[in-house]
Amino acid sequence: MFGPFRLTNPLSGGLLWKVPWRLSRQQKYRHRERLRGVDNIVSTVDSALARLGQSLKKVEAWKKEMPTEQEMLPKDKYTVFDRKVKRYRKGIHKVPKWTRVSQRLNPPGF
Amino acid sequence: MAYFRITLMRSGIGMPKKVQGVLHALGLKKRMTTVYYPVSQSVAGQIMRIKELVDVKEVEKPMSKEEMRAARRPDKGYYVEKRAEHVES
Repeated sequence: MFGPFRLTNPLSGGLLWKVPWRLSRQQKYRHRERLRGVDNIVSTVDSALARLGQSLKKVEAWKKEMPTEQEMLPKDKYTVFDRKVKRYRKGIHKVPKWTRVSQRLNPPGF
Repeated sequence: MAYFRITLMRSGIGMPKKVQGVLHALGLKKRMTTVYYPVSQSVAGQIMRIKELVDVKEVEKPMSKEEMRAARRPDKGYYVEKRAEHVES
């Protein structure tokens, strides 16, 4: 019943490799941590440059356009727009390399 | 003078060429490598490109490889007692 050779659907033959349609609670937690990490890096870079009296166009644009983790709606945190999906939303874990890319904005109205 | 301490936390495997190129340019070839660069706009721009993969802190002084190694080393848990100096009476 337990152990590496237990009888589960993926192991009992055939190709069954499913991705659940929603994130687990722990995945959501780690995803929020990653979002916050990116926010921290942007603020670190910004404050370090500000101390020298400099600024960067890329940083300014990011701060203006991108919402921080706290400003984001749960809908935008955990799902993304997809025109092929019913009701136009799919879980963010379906995005390729989703733990290593920033995907925060979605088209308005969707 | 302030420095950026950049540590590669997530590997760049499978990322676009531009991202991997930036990692290579900064000398981040393996996970958990740490590099120090003086705070400047060009380095900041490079960090913005790889911000999902790295950990960035602003520090006062860069640490050498030996210093980083010494900082990682745990406490020995013992110390060697030295002979007390002879006191003339």
